[in-house]
Amino acid sequence: MKQIILIAIIAGIAAVLPLVTGESPYFTGVMISVLMMAALSSAWNILGGYAGQYSFGHAAYFGAGAYTTMILITQFNLNPLLSMAAGIIIACLIALITGSIVFRLRGHYFGLASIAVAEIVRLSALNFEFTGGAQGILLSEVSLWGLDLNSKNPFYYGMLLVLVVTLGITLYLRTSKTGFYLQAIREDQDAAASLGINLSFYKNKALLISASLTSLLGSLYAVYIRFIDTSAVLDLRLSIEIILTAIIGGVGTLWGPVLGAVLLVPLAEVLRSNVIGDALVKQGLVSETSGLGIFLKENLAHAHVLVYGIITVVCILYLPKGILGLFRRVK
Amino acid sequence: MIQHILHINHVSKHFGGNVAVSDISFSVDEKQIFGLIGPNGAGKTTLFNCISGFYPVTSGDIIFDNKAINSLRPDEVCHLGMARTWQRVKPLGSLTVLENVMVGAFAITNATREAEEIAIEQLGSVGLIDYAQKAAGSLSIGLKKKLELARVLATRPKMLLLDEICGGLNHTETETILGIIRDVRNKGATIVFIEHDMKAVTAICDWIVVLNSGEKLAEGRPEEITRNPEVIAAYLGGGYNA
Repeated sequence: MKQIILIAIIAGIAAVLPLVTGESPYFTGVMISVLMMAALSSAWNILGGYAGQYSFGHAAYFGAGAYTTMILITQFNLNPLLSMAAGIIIACLIALITGSIVFRLRGHYFGLASIAVAEIVRLSALNFEFTGGAQGILLSEVSLWGLDLNSKNPFYYGMLLVLVVTLGITLYLRTSKTGFYLQAIREDQDAAASLGINLSFYKNKALLISASLTSLLGSLYAVYIRFIDTSAVLDLRLSIEIILTAIIGGVGTLWGPVLGAVLLVPLAEVLRSNVIGDALVKQGLVSETSGLGIFLKENLAHAHVLVYGIITVVCILYLPKGILGLFRRVK
Repeated sequence: MIQHILHINHVSKHFGGNVAVSDISFSVDEKQIFGLIGPNGAGKTTLFNCISGFYPVTSGDIIFDNKAINSLRPDEVCHLGMARTWQRVKPLGSLTVLENVMVGAFAITNATREAEEIAIEQLGSVGLIDYAQKAAGSLSIGLKKKLELARVLATRPKMLLLDEICGGLNHTETETILGIIRDVRNKGATIVFIEHDMKAVTAICDWIVVLNSGEKLAEGRPEEITRNPEVIAAYLGGGYNA
């Protein structure tokens, strides 16, 4: 109950935030990224955090949603919402095929297979004609219910809605039989099986829920950005970023992935747009033409992956339960 | 008339060329406390794994409650009413004691509240209720064994397979566990009990099967088994002729 109220409060704050900050497309854009990564990481967390099945290929489901939606809108002029539903179906098919084969095996096989499946999906999208190959797909015109889809606000609220739904599902799972069973599977598969838990059924269930939500986010992202190619929606880097967000925030917790996204996405944004380097130059602390100034300008923008890496290593070493673990009472 | 609840019919289990269990047959009566004993490596746990669905048998049949269960998965076997514990306990470490037992209770209910009620009742009956909110991984070995027992009992089994449930426990703890097991039997469940400590087994079992090197060496009532020279030889080594 406490958590439902917390979700409502945070969703409420997020909902009025654009009204307070006014029309700043840049700020709204960053916030959309935060919400999207929070939702992606939370969706991954259902499978990885609760069921303990680490997927290293969630980009496949994100890309499946994005590509299905874009193809159906651009080539068949289908309603965006129906296209998103179709994306979920495609993602579920990929998930079902992967899961029904690989979940029979124990250990790291699922993780390895998830990378392989994601690569197969990526290479297919890169080489087929109907996916636009290396050129990707451009969406020039789209409309829904007379909403202004050139503005970022509909997508801000769309992402927020999916995040709230994802958190709601997670919360429901935690207190239901399925959630208990997923955690039992994570803790000890033999014990789980001997207590009457059908391992592959529940792992597949978690994967399908996770893949559906991920696909929905991919669809939303594609319509928001209006251009997709394999490096934008099917890259291994995306899969890794989703996992790192969850790990750094706190795997297997309700709020960990959200916390991870709130901290990491703006951090990446700051590094990418070289805010730090610019600030140092502006303050006159570093001359733009000095060696250090050139170094900062050239390299800091590309350093966000490096910073992610360093934070991850520190987290694994000192915060195995993620940043959220810091605030939790040890039982 | 006494009903057999479990038939082991010429069961063999090979691992490659390694014969772990060889042509074993016996029957377990309803409401019996049945002991499966033998020295280390006799094949007791392998046989348990076959019965509970973790290993497919190489040949032979396992009939539980008039159903062949050879080809069933462990979770299906559990839903037929057979539950097992593990020699090396398997607590769901980061879950609380209560949550561990709730996982067991979910085998017979879909409702979280009902699972919680069953779990609380079960924790009371094994004397773990004070530990309900502790993380299962933090318990001592004696309490973990009790938790293991509470968790399988929450599935309301017709038959319980207990793999060295008293192993590593002191005298008092063993007595408590044996008391719980007697209670469970008196409520109508059948117990199959692996031990290699003869004392614990003879104290509680109605019938005993002795395994040695994967084969059945003897079977009978406890007092017969303890006097059987072959059993004594198997336990003490062949050279002893007392």
